[in-house]
Amino acid sequence: MDDFHTGQPIFVQIRQRLIEMILQRAVGEGDALPSVRQISADLSVNPLTVTKAFEALVDLGVVEKRRGLGMFVKQGARPLLLAHEREKFLTEEWPRIAAQIAALDLDVEQLLSEARTPETKGTQND
Amino acid sequence: MTENAIITAHGLRKSFGRKEVLHGLDFEIPAGRIYGLVGHNGAGKTTTLNAILGLTDCEGTIRVLGEDPFARRAQLMENVAFISDVASLPRFLRVRELFALISNIHPNFSQEKARDFLTGTDIRMDAKIKHLSKGMIAQLHLAVVMAIDAKLLVLDEPTLGLDISYRKRFYRRLLEDYMTEERTLLITTHQVDEIEFMLSDIMFIRDGELILHMQMETVNEKFSQLVVTDPAKAERARGLRPVFEETRFGQTVLIFDGVDRAELTQLGQVSTPNVSDLFVALMQRPTANPSAA
Repeated sequence: MDDFHTGQPIFVQIRQRLIEMILQRAVGEGDALPSVRQISADLSVNPLTVTKAFEALVDLGVVEKRRGLGMFVKQGARPLLLAHEREKFLTEEWPRIAAQIAALDLDVEQLLSEARTPETKGTQND
Repeated sequence: MTENAIITAHGLRKSFGRKEVLHGLDFEIPAGRIYGLVGHNGAGKTTTLNAILGLTDCEGTIRVLGEDPFARRAQLMENVAFISDVASLPRFLRVRELFALISNIHPNFSQEKARDFLTGTDIRMDAKIKHLSKGMIAQLHLAVVMAIDAKLLVLDEPTLGLDISYRKRFYRRLLEDYMTEERTLLITTHQVDEIEFMLSDIMFIRDGELILHMQMETVNEKFSQLVVTDPAKAERARGLRPVFEETRFGQTVLIFDGVDRAELTQLGQVSTPNVSDLFVALMQRPTANPSAA
């Protein structure tokens, strides 16, 4: 599982994995997230790094610490995260992708229809 | 001395005969950290660890948990545990006898815990140590040190000679069952890639001198690795004074210390160098005159 890439700090990569877990509903709102110790052991990562990833999610208001019990996904976390991730995609990734599409002279309509046909990904409806 | 420092060293020097092997080390290790001590064979790692463990007398001052380890070794060992790369457990004993022996000599050793740590292994309590495989001896050793309620655990090449799955299990155990905020871990290993993300801090030792002592987070901010394919861009990159350069597979790989990443991004692919790349880069002489590749 320790397939980190070198482009981003490890805590950011762990934070992203936690975000994905919540977005994909692997962990539901109100449910407990894996403990710092467990993630640390699973990924062979320093516990402080894992704590930092959690802290970032606490700051976003999507996770809360319950004393003695661990970290929990807050109610309403999913729509909040979805908005946050969309915003991040549109400001950070999309301009670069759009520029590359233009640079490679690709047809956006065709790309979209090709992406849709083989297996239709679940549409977001919340 | 910082309030919560576990180890402090000032001007730590050691000579064997006329050869000085430690040239005055200064460092402080706070509690709750996982430290990696990395260096070539003969760089002074084991001498440093021996000084920490009170196994060798040095010039300068060293304090472990506030005590002089050489003068107060017996008392200190109640709170310090270690696995040395040359450590051997008494081969003629059975596991059960070993546990009984240690609980007689070590006040903070728990036989129960040690037994717990053996669950999931193939080590039987009545097995003779000399009949255990190398991997099993390492597991036994780890079970023993983890069953000691210590504030400082020193691991000198703890996984030497073990296969990869044992090594992974070893570190997993350590993180899962041992590490807490009150404990400090000091590890030396040549397989530094395996533990790189476990570490909170890193120390590089070269020829008896500390050439890097830094939090991993700072390492990641300070150092960057740049891969360039275009020779013209490589030339521009050289102008930014890399600390290391090499050619790999037609690409130029450069490592920079404290150069703005935004600037590097225009020249090629930027990433954080891993510890072994950094080790190679910093352990040789800085490339004031890059050798022609």
